[in-house]
Amino acid sequence: MRIWAVALNTFKETIRNRILLNILFFAIGLILLSLVVGEWSMYQQVKVIKDFGLSAMSIFGLLIAVFIGIRLMVQELEQKTIYLIISKPIRRWEFVLGKYLGLSITLALNVLLMSLALWGASYLMEGYIDWSLTPAIILLYVEILLVVAFSMLFSSFMMPTVSAIATLMIFIVGHLSDFLMEFIALYPDKGYHWLLNAIYHVAPNLEKLNLKIAVVEDLPYDSSVLTFGLLYGFSYILILLIITAIVFERKDLK
Amino acid sequence: MADSVIQTVSLSKVYKGELEHKPVTALVDLNLEVQRGEVYAFLGPNGAGKSTTIKLLTRLIFPSTGTITIQGKDIRDRYALDRIGFMPEQPNLYGYLSGREFLDYVGAIFRMSRSVRKERAIELLQLVGLEKGGERAIRGYSRGMTQRLALAQALMNDPDLLILDEPMSNLDPIGRKDVRDIILNLKEEGKTIFFSSHILSDAEMIADRIGILNEGRLVQVGTMSKLVDKQIVSTEVTFEIAPEKLSSIIQKDLTPVQQENRVMVRLSDESQLSELLESVNQSGGKIISVIPQRKSLEEYFIAQLGRN
Repeated sequence: MRIWAVALNTFKETIRNRILLNILFFAIGLILLSLVVGEWSMYQQVKVIKDFGLSAMSIFGLLIAVFIGIRLMVQELEQKTIYLIISKPIRRWEFVLGKYLGLSITLALNVLLMSLALWGASYLMEGYIDWSLTPAIILLYVEILLVVAFSMLFSSFMMPTVSAIATLMIFIVGHLSDFLMEFIALYPDKGYHWLLNAIYHVAPNLEKLNLKIAVVEDLPYDSSVLTFGLLYGFSYILILLIITAIVFERKDLK
Repeated sequence: MADSVIQTVSLSKVYKGELEHKPVTALVDLNLEVQRGEVYAFLGPNGAGKSTTIKLLTRLIFPSTGTITIQGKDIRDRYALDRIGFMPEQPNLYGYLSGREFLDYVGAIFRMSRSVRKERAIELLQLVGLEKGGERAIRGYSRGMTQRLALAQALMNDPDLLILDEPMSNLDPIGRKDVRDIILNLKEEGKTIFFSSHILSDAEMIADRIGILNEGRLVQVGTMSKLVDKQIVSTEVTFEIAPEKLSSIIQKDLTPVQQENRVMVRLSDESQLSELLESVNQSGGKIISVIPQRKSLEEYFIAQLGRN
C-alpha cells in the first residue's frame, strides 16, 4: 500500500507536469506528420509512416525518460519534500519502487497515446489497424523503462546535468553495442579495449529490444525474440532498481 | 529509562567531506533524554547541530556513532517512526497537490483506510485553520499556510511524539500564537513534543524543559523553572519615605529611583534585603513591594553560550 501511495502520487506529479504534456503533444503531432512525409515517398508510404512513427516514439520516450526520470528524484531531494515521506514508516526501497512504478504508469499511458496515433495513421493509409506493430511497441516501452531505471540510478548520486549526460550515453552506447564488439574484433588493441569491453558488458544492448526494422519491413522473426527481450529488459531493470535502492538506503538526506 | 520517549546515547555525526571539503563534525557525544508528556525545547544558535539532531531522530541521516531509541525501539526499526509526527524546518510540500490530497497521501503512507484519511484530513484542516484552502493547490499557499499544512500532516497519524524543527519560524504573530496554542493543547492530550527553536520567547512560554546545544555539544539541560525561574538576579524594593530621611537609609552602592516620597531600589545581593527593610521601618517608612527579578531565558541562553 505504501508503494502504491508513492506510485499514485508520482503518477499525479508526472501527469500534471507541463513538460511531459508538451513532449507528448509534440510526439503525437510528429507521428501524424508522418502521413505528410509518407506522401512524399513514391512507393513506401506505409513503411515510412511506421518507421517515422516508431522512431518518434523512441526519441520522445528517451526525452521523457531523461527529463522526467531525473527530475523525479532530484526535485524530491532539492526541494526536500522527501523529508516528509522518508521520516514516516516507509522503507527507502519502497519509496524508490513507488517512484519508479508511478512513472512507469505515466509512460505506459504516453506510449499508449503515441501508439493510438501511429495505429490511427496506419489505418488511414491501409484501411485497417496494423497490430503487427504491437511487439515492437511493447519492446520500445521496455526500452524506455530501462532508460528510466538508469536515469533514476544516476540521479540518486549524481548532479542532474551529469545524470542526463550519463543517461544519454547509455542510450547511445546501448544502440551501438553490437558495433562496439565488431570494432574490438576488427582493430588491434591500442590499450583502451579494456574500457570498451567494460562499457560493452555494463551497458545494455538496446538493439535486443529493437523490433522496429522487422515489423516495418515485414521481416520474419522468431516469437522468442519478444520473450527474450522482455526477460532481458526486466532483468536489467530489476538489477538497476536494486542498486538504486542500495545507494538510496545509505544516503544521508542532508 | 521506562518513561523516555527519546533517548540518544553518545550520538555523534560527522559529515564526510566531498571533493576538496573537509569533514564537518556537526554533533558530538549527545546524550539526550525526553520524557513522556513533556514539551522539550531544543535551543541553540544557527549551526549548533539542532537540525542535524532532528534529522538523526527522523532517520533522514545516519549517526556516525551512538544509538537512538524512540519509544523503546531502536531507530533502525521501521516501526520506531510509526507513532511520530514530524515537521521539518521551512517545509516544502508537493505544490501540484491540494492540501487535502497531500494529507490523503500522508495518511496512505501510514496505511490508514480511505474513509479514515478523508475524515482526519477534514478535522486537521479545520484545526490549523485551512478549511477554506483545502481544495486549493499548495503552490498557491503563503508561507504561513504551508507551515500550517505541514503541522497538519505531522498530526495525521495522531502521533504520541511530535518532532518539530523551528515550528514557529516564518509565522506572523497570530500564526505563532496559533501554533503555540496547538502545541499546548497537544501537551494537554498527553503528547510528547520535542521542538527546536531560536525564538526564545516562544520556548519560554511553552517548554517544560530545555536543552541548549552549542557547536554540536549539549551544554545545558534542565527544567525551565530550574534553569530560569529560580535564578533570582536581583530584588526590586519599593517603599515610601520622607525625602529627608532617604540618605540615612540608602547604602552607598545602591542607586535609588525617587519620585516624590516613593523610592525604588534594586538589590543585587540578597543579604542587603533584611538590612534595608529594617532601616525603612525604623525611619518610619512603608514598604510597598519586594519583587524578586528573575533571569529571562534569553539572558540565561546568552550567558550559557558565553561560558562555553
